Amino acid sequence: MIESDAPVTLDDSGDTVPTDWTPAALSDDIPAASAAPGQLGAHDLAIWRSASGRIAAWADRCPHRGMRLSHGFVRGERLSCIYHGWGYGEGGRCVRIPAHPELAPPEAIRVPVFSAAEASGVIWVAEDAPDSPPPEFPGLAAFRSLQVAAAPEAVAAALGGTGTVIEATLAGLSVVALIQPLRDGAAGLHLLAPEDSDPAALDALSAAVEALRRRVEAAEEAAA
Amino acid sequence: MSELGAMRDQWYPVAMTKQLTAQGRDTLLMGAPIRVFADDGGTPKVTDGAGRALPVIDRFGHVWTSLGQPEKDLFTIPEVDQPGRRLVDVGVCRVRCSPLRAVENFLDIAHFPFVHTDILGSEPHTEVERYEVEIRDDVDEVWATKVKFFQPQAAKSAEGGITTDYMYRVCAPTCSVLYKTCPPKPEEWDVIALFVQPLTETLCDVWPYMALYDDDAEMTDLIHFQQMIFVQDRSVLENQLPALLPLDPGREIPTRADMTSIAYRRWLKRHGFTYGAQLVAA
Repeated sequence: MIESDAPVTLDDSGDTVPTDWTPAALSDDIPAASAAPGQLGAHDLAIWRSASGRIAAWADRCPHRGMRLSHGFVRGERLSCIYHGWGYGEGGRCVRIPAHPELAPPEAIRVPVFSAAEASGVIWVAEDAPDSPPPEFPGLAAFRSLQVAAAPEAVAAALGGTGTVIEATLAGLSVVALIQPLRDGAAGLHLLAPEDSDPAALDALSAAVEALRRRVEAAEEAAA
Repeated sequence: MSELGAMRDQWYPVAMTKQLTAQGRDTLLMGAPIRVFADDGGTPKVTDGAGRALPVIDRFGHVWTSLGQPEKDLFTIPEVDQPGRRLVDVGVCRVRCSPLRAVENFLDIAHFPFVHTDILGSEPHTEVERYEVEIRDDVDEVWATKVKFFQPQAAKSAEGGITTDYMYRVCAPTCSVLYKTCPPKPEEWDVIALFVQPLTETLCDVWPYMALYDDDAEMTDLIHFQQMIFVQDRSVLENQLPALLPLDPGREIPTRADMTSIAYRRWLKRHGFTYGAQLVAA
């Protein structure tokens, strides 16, 4: 059974199929050995990439003193809190407490872990472990992400579609827009463009999507 | 307005005395609008939103007041009266955090290598050795003693790394005083205080204050050093979840290095000092 607000994607024939994944960021925006904040529904996430390139999405909160882990630092395969340097590894487990270097941290000190996977240059996240991987979009490459201060439905409608995955034509390019619900009535818009687009076409696409954002936000503000 | 509880009858800093003008400073104390000003004779006065006079103490370079009726005088810092100390009003730093979280951060040394990197601490010197903590019933204060930490540049007057000795004292729900090794005068302690004005449960004005033996540094350098430290702290304080300080165990996991923080939370809870705190683990 699919919840009505479950994200959907397109299959080869253009029909929508459900996915339990939510688009949260673009792969290029979180390079190796870095962390960034993200959202999944009501959850704040720390999305981070290890030195070897593994992507992960964890609760954005160090269990020690509640500091956001997205402000932390990555060394090797560990994410460390910027406040006291507590280091977390595989499965969110605390492996190092610098104030007590000789202490093996108790097993119970863990950061809640979410599912994270990458496809077509997009980082997708999920609360549980979805049965299938996130969707691929052959021929398309992740282009850029924007935040829009408007409801996801309004953003989708402005792109001429509904739901989470929208095929649209913007600035003459056939693009896919992934819509992410954010808190406070905002939306994330993750845009994929044809792989072989030339720089001038991508500049025009950027301008078009920014204009679209201004239009949607102005309409939202006028309606408020 | 939130329940002020026992914190209503405590003293809080609301202005720097030497900055007071006749026009005054409009500010908040635990959600209540107040005005701090100098009267015709230059004496500090504080009024509430209805124009009623609130109690005033002018001490440590700051104006103190209370929305309630404090039973006790404001705490003292005897070292401030020692000859030869330079008294430094650092100024104000506004932080979007619980006033209690601001104090707790001040009591913490384990963050030095990560938040004040290469100044108050540096890797690999991260270990916090066992120290002593007690709630002194006679003075009703939290004290941490025999605290030691390796610091690359402990103070404006410090050259090169030293192991610094610390003592910490919580003398009011939003005020703490620390004593630390004084590089130019090893037989004495430098004194640094953190006076926190609770504007709301999640917003505060922090007024650091120092009484130092340092004859060489320019006053502006002393102030800038302390402000730099506090701006680094602010980046942490504004990003802790939840914003309110959890007083019940379970929401956060302390270790032995956090004994001062544990005692501070226990002392707050015992007194019902819960403005800016979260009581039930959420």
